[in-house]
Amino acid sequence: MKNIYKNILKAIIIAPLLGTWGAIVLSCDKTVTEPVKEAYIPTKLDENAGTWKTYILTSSSEVAVAAPKAATDAAYLQELDSLKNKIMPVLTPANKDAVAYWGAGAVYRWNEIARELAARYNLAPAANAEGKYPVPDAANPLADPKFPFANPPYTARMLAYLSVAQYDALVSTWNYKYMFNRKAPSKNDASVRPLLPVSDLPSYPSEDAVVAAASYTILVAMFPGEVPYLDTKLAEAKNARVWAGTNVPSDVTAGDALGKAVAAKIMAKAKVDGMSAANNQTLVAGQIEAAVARGIKNNWVSQETPARPPMLPNYGAVTNWNFDKATLAKIRPVMPYVVGSVEWQKDFEELEKINKSQTREQARIANYWADGAGSYTPPGHWSREAANLCHENKFSEVATARTMALVSTALMDAGIACWETKYYYYTPRPQQFGLKTSVGLPNFPSYTSGHSTFSAAAATVLGSIFPSKAADLNAKASEASNSRVYGLIHFRVDCEMGLAHGKKIGEYAIARGKADGSGY
Amino acid sequence: MPIKMFKLYQGKMKTFIKYAFVILIGLSSKLYAQMPHDVIYMPKKTACLAVSYNNSSWKEYWENTLKRENLNIGTHTTQSVMPMIAYGITDKLNAIVALPYVSTKTSAGNLMGQKGIQDFSAWLKYQLVKNEKGFSLHSVLGASIPVGNYVPDFLPMSIGLQTKTATGRLIANYTHKSGIYVTAHGSYILRSKIKVDRDAYQADNRVYNTNEVSVPNATDAAIRLGYIKDGSRIQAEFFAENFTCVGGDNIRRNDMPFPTNNMTSTSIGFYGKYQPKNIGFNVRVAKVVNGINVGQATSFSVGLLYQLNPKIKK
Repeated sequence: MKNIYKNILKAIIIAPLLGTWGAIVLSCDKTVTEPVKEAYIPTKLDENAGTWKTYILTSSSEVAVAAPKAATDAAYLQELDSLKNKIMPVLTPANKDAVAYWGAGAVYRWNEIARELAARYNLAPAANAEGKYPVPDAANPLADPKFPFANPPYTARMLAYLSVAQYDALVSTWNYKYMFNRKAPSKNDASVRPLLPVSDLPSYPSEDAVVAAASYTILVAMFPGEVPYLDTKLAEAKNARVWAGTNVPSDVTAGDALGKAVAAKIMAKAKVDGMSAANNQTLVAGQIEAAVARGIKNNWVSQETPARPPMLPNYGAVTNWNFDKATLAKIRPVMPYVVGSVEWQKDFEELEKINKSQTREQARIANYWADGAGSYTPPGHWSREAANLCHENKFSEVATARTMALVSTALMDAGIACWETKYYYYTPRPQQFGLKTSVGLPNFPSYTSGHSTFSAAAATVLGSIFPSKAADLNAKASEASNSRVYGLIHFRVDCEMGLAHGKKIGEYAIARGKADGSGY
Repeated sequence: MPIKMFKLYQGKMKTFIKYAFVILIGLSSKLYAQMPHDVIYMPKKTACLAVSYNNSSWKEYWENTLKRENLNIGTHTTQSVMPMIAYGITDKLNAIVALPYVSTKTSAGNLMGQKGIQDFSAWLKYQLVKNEKGFSLHSVLGASIPVGNYVPDFLPMSIGLQTKTATGRLIANYTHKSGIYVTAHGSYILRSKIKVDRDAYQADNRVYNTNEVSVPNATDAAIRLGYIKDGSRIQAEFFAENFTCVGGDNIRRNDMPFPTNNMTSTSIGFYGKYQPKNIGFNVRVAKVVNGINVGQATSFSVGLLYQLNPKIKK
């Protein structure tokens, strides 16, 4: 009997060890699972989108597009013949992968690429040997520090111009599509077997080529060090439509020209929106003086060593999208609690408690929404949310672009209005009172919370477009807002006032959307 | 727990207390405190409990290959307390288990220190070959599982990476009859994917839209030259160790580390043990001399060894 026990004991010790070991060996697959986005036929074609209100183009025919060759023209017939007999029969597996990848949607993919670039460039410059932080140089984008530092305000603006270019270019595209009514290759010739689902949308100019060219033009301006990468993406995006049998080359060529011309007009506007003066550090002393005069005696001080100049102190002066500067001043949150007041003390005590015993759930929420250095930032987070909702709801390219434009202009407006508030009051961060952080401390004044403002603005706009998701979106915005208290870098009042401010900002975008003629 | 098992457990506990008492009054026989990388074995049915304190700190680190300091971290310190039990299943097959409690802190900046129970690890060490001339060959299988629900990607403050690991190790040893020995080992460490709190992250110059993170596998190797005497009552050695990830990306300019990083380090150090009776101690000091994506840590540990030796009853 004793021996049996001994053996059982031995087995109890050895079996789990070997079992665990084996299980780990067997489960050691390094592939991470990412969501797969597939092509779909949109639920609506949005035939009248050529009449929707544009942001910067004066009309959808401001950029001219030449009429295509007729379906019976020898040149067009030759394009069809080449498509089915020369191009499609020799596709490589890599070509087919590209077709499937871009099939998820042009607006969808180009926004995803933009977020990826934001994440790659969202790193603050390192201090040099003299203890100074060199300013990124657009003329030398790959030097150290790289240009741009794609922080949240920069990324919000980049995504806004990207989406507006995509939207204005697509409104223009829809105008010409229904003006010329060239059918898709497979609808003109049944022997063309497309690799992706094809709707009744006219194919000239190619909406995918338009979005590719427009996005390319914005992104090379925003990320000048990424020209080779973006060249590859542009070529692949355009080729993929021909490889898929969904466009002939003349659809793509016309789309490419239209997209580039529209985006050039958008970038011309971007160049004069005040961003070049957003990092004007000479204003800071005056901003602090004005905040003190308003009654904020304890001011923000950089907690980094060496002290880093505050992020984009004049971003609040950049041109907004959906309201004017008088409105910006009118909706600015009221003065926060003054350090030492009873209300401030209450907010501080909440933080002290978390500093002492942050729960794992608080840490999880703080981490989920952190979107800090090296990430695509909170505007990127909400841009992703918006793109996924459009994809789930099978929106057309133009309806997707409209949604992205409404959301990302609201996000940029939120950034501008929040930054204006931050430098108007110039309030201290909780770390100036001895608290730590579990997410990393942003280098600019505390009140109001950028996360709260961005999140409420985006959630409000998206809730209007997807009413069945409104409650869920608002809950996410609240969680994003709370995350900054849990991460210990904002006082409660920063977050609550930021949320309310963001909601108002989102409503201006909704008002614009209601009046754009889309009927959404 | 079935009643029979419970009774067995009760019985074992009584025996344990009895033995512990005997040990405490100082009777002893063989003493064999051991590690997963040495060639010392607990005799059958004997056990050794070791509790070690480890302190590892760095001021400079390698951001990719750039060696730098960070004034917003100052000196980064990791401390841990690790209870470890080694047990002789047979004279040639030993099991070792350990479970550390880890805490981190910095001397500057505002990053919140982390603390908690880290990963449970278990090892089986088996003597494959031993000849008269003093050569021996040993195989070790190790596994570890995270126990604490700590945050793995708040580096460099996180107390661990949350990976499950499986290690295969081969140890070769030559011990001269004078007590001078040389030991070399090589291991391959499989490391599982992990889940992080966020659902997108940047690695390998791209964005992954998922909460799953692929942590690279790793190898470790070491060579030790030392002297062992009187069973293993006295042991002293100098060692060089290398830990290298199999792939992985690098810390970007002025970014924080991430679990996907190719962390590589080479350390040199000294280990010594003195266990005259059932109670003994060991010390270890080491310094990282070269690395990529890691801190240049200087570490020391002290351990209290405590032999549980049922055989002494006889």
